[in-house]
Amino acid sequence: MSTTPNDALHPSTAPSRRDFLAKAVAIGGSGFLLASMKAWGMDIASTRDVPPELQGSGKGKTIVILGAGLAGLTAAYEMSKLGYNCKVIEARAFAGGRCQTARSGKVLEELGGEKQVCAFDQGQYINFGPWRIPFNHRSTLHYTSEFGVPLELFNNDNDAAYIYNDNAPGPLAGRRLRQYEVKADMRGYVDELLAKSLKGGAMDQQVTAADRDLLIDYLANEGYLSKKDLRYRGTDGRGFKVNPGAGVAPGPGVPSDPLAFSDLLQSRLGHFYHSVHEFTQQATMLQPVGGMDQIAKGFEKRVGKMIRYQTEVTSVRNLADKVEVHVKDLRTGAASVVSGDFCLCTIPLSVLRQIDTNFSDKFKTALQGAAYAPVCKIGLQMKRRFWEEDHGIYGGHVYTDTKGINLISLPSGNWQGKKGTLLGFYNFGAEAAEISAMSNRERADYALAAGEKIFPGHYRSSFDSAFSVGWHRVKYNLGGWAEWSEEARAQAYPVLVEGEGRTLLAGEHMSHLGGWQAGAIESSWQQIGRIHQRLSAA
Amino acid sequence: MHRLVLIAMLAAAGQAAAQAPDGKTLFAKNCAACHQVTGAGIPGAFPALRGNAFVQGDAAAVIATVLKGRGGMPAFGATLDDEKIALALSYVRSAWGNQAGAVDAATVQAVRSGSGAAAVTKPQDKGTIIH
Repeated sequence: MSTTPNDALHPSTAPSRRDFLAKAVAIGGSGFLLASMKAWGMDIASTRDVPPELQGSGKGKTIVILGAGLAGLTAAYEMSKLGYNCKVIEARAFAGGRCQTARSGKVLEELGGEKQVCAFDQGQYINFGPWRIPFNHRSTLHYTSEFGVPLELFNNDNDAAYIYNDNAPGPLAGRRLRQYEVKADMRGYVDELLAKSLKGGAMDQQVTAADRDLLIDYLANEGYLSKKDLRYRGTDGRGFKVNPGAGVAPGPGVPSDPLAFSDLLQSRLGHFYHSVHEFTQQATMLQPVGGMDQIAKGFEKRVGKMIRYQTEVTSVRNLADKVEVHVKDLRTGAASVVSGDFCLCTIPLSVLRQIDTNFSDKFKTALQGAAYAPVCKIGLQMKRRFWEEDHGIYGGHVYTDTKGINLISLPSGNWQGKKGTLLGFYNFGAEAAEISAMSNRERADYALAAGEKIFPGHYRSSFDSAFSVGWHRVKYNLGGWAEWSEEARAQAYPVLVEGEGRTLLAGEHMSHLGGWQAGAIESSWQQIGRIHQRLSAA
Repeated sequence: MHRLVLIAMLAAAGQAAAQAPDGKTLFAKNCAACHQVTGAGIPGAFPALRGNAFVQGDAAAVIATVLKGRGGMPAFGATLDDEKIALALSYVRSAWGNQAGAVDAATVQAVRSGSGAAAVTKPQDKGTIIH
């Protein structure tokens, strides 16, 4: 059955529970399944591989879909396949929502800001919205597969990339290091300490003698410790003073010296990595070749005819037997009403809560529950891929603690090409508020000054042009994504997921995959299943 | 109030004060991206602070909003210290025809410790990116 999570990816889903749910479908259909899942404390929103298999037909029924982002596009695509008449209302002149890519000619005008026109060369682009797809977001990958959108690897973790912390306490402040140096030394030293403590009997209370020996063996292996004296003296993975090569010179090369343990501890540089990446950040990550908006275009090609572009929603009216959506054509100013049997509203809550509706007070209060993240990004087109040519850094992220920068991300495509476009900063919250007060030119200057410290002599001089965004200042978004406090998640979120009358909400904000395209798609899958169920029962 | 007057005097006196943060500069840097330098906000997106009753009302409530954020507004508790928040808010409460009293750092400090708002974060303690 289609709603079963993929076994290999979700080993924690007990087979017995799956079997039970499969039986539940056989006995009572999908309605019984939903009830059963709720009874089990499961929500159907768990990561799904494929859209719901909807039985029956939607012929003769109209769904008004507000917003042509990924949630709205998904709904239009899937529901129209079932025969529903889908009317998609989109304020912008294009589909995709936040799934946008800036390339030559792209226009963006932030609220209170200047009009930017992207001046990148042909073939250069920046994904200033979503930019990476985790391997476990199978819903997003379902559509790239279905639409034949070519993918390539997104390098999300590059040991050879630098870490540079200006404000690191201690002697490592302002010192440019390779991430492999920090990782190798921190782990080596920690492993050494623990191994020696075990060997000396300091942990005999905690481990049995047999486990102690096994653990020492593990630590020696993990941290490249000398088997003889359990010391960490460096390892080739932390790089060389002179790299090995041919003949006798350079021959074996010259090993590098480990950093001092105390300096490392003081610097806190070890905080940039964890035992394992978070689930959404692990290799393998992917990206569409040529830009993330290839996904939006894949949908648009199939459902574009159903979209009324440049049409703003002015009011939503839930009525007993239908939904009326009042809209304004932004080109002509003409007002009209779009009616349907049901409405799927995918407008971000930051925007929806300012639109006139006849929702109940309880629902309106819940709409206020989510905060929206201020987020800025900047793409910098560089004349030369100095990070590859001079530094051997192919993709991945250079980390820095410079305020408002966080990372410099190198492109995962067009390797060894002539030019390249990197992500010059990615910032959030109060820092994003500050950066977004700058003009595009000032933002670029700010980003270049930070990058120049890490790549002196090449960063600023290689710069061609910039394209930046502050998502909180983008009309129809007003934020990068919804953020839920624990309290709002417990109180407002369930009210909104439930929907009201003939209107249900969908989008990344109606998921626990917030800020991810998979959240928008899977939320849409969930809600169209419910709409279909309601309309089929009627 | 005393502090603002002092800064104004220093500014008039010359170069030394150009380095000192004043409320107007702090506002322009941290708040104006959304609320605009005129304090007029943008209708349908960002509330106006000019003539805003809440902004000119109970100082503790306004301070708490700046410290902890609200709706689309980020929390500034981790990035701005008590002194800077006091200066920025004193400016907001007296600019564009607003007529509420100044806010001092001690009051911000009291609200910060009483409201569970974050302390000012050192750069090395910043969180990781997840999207």
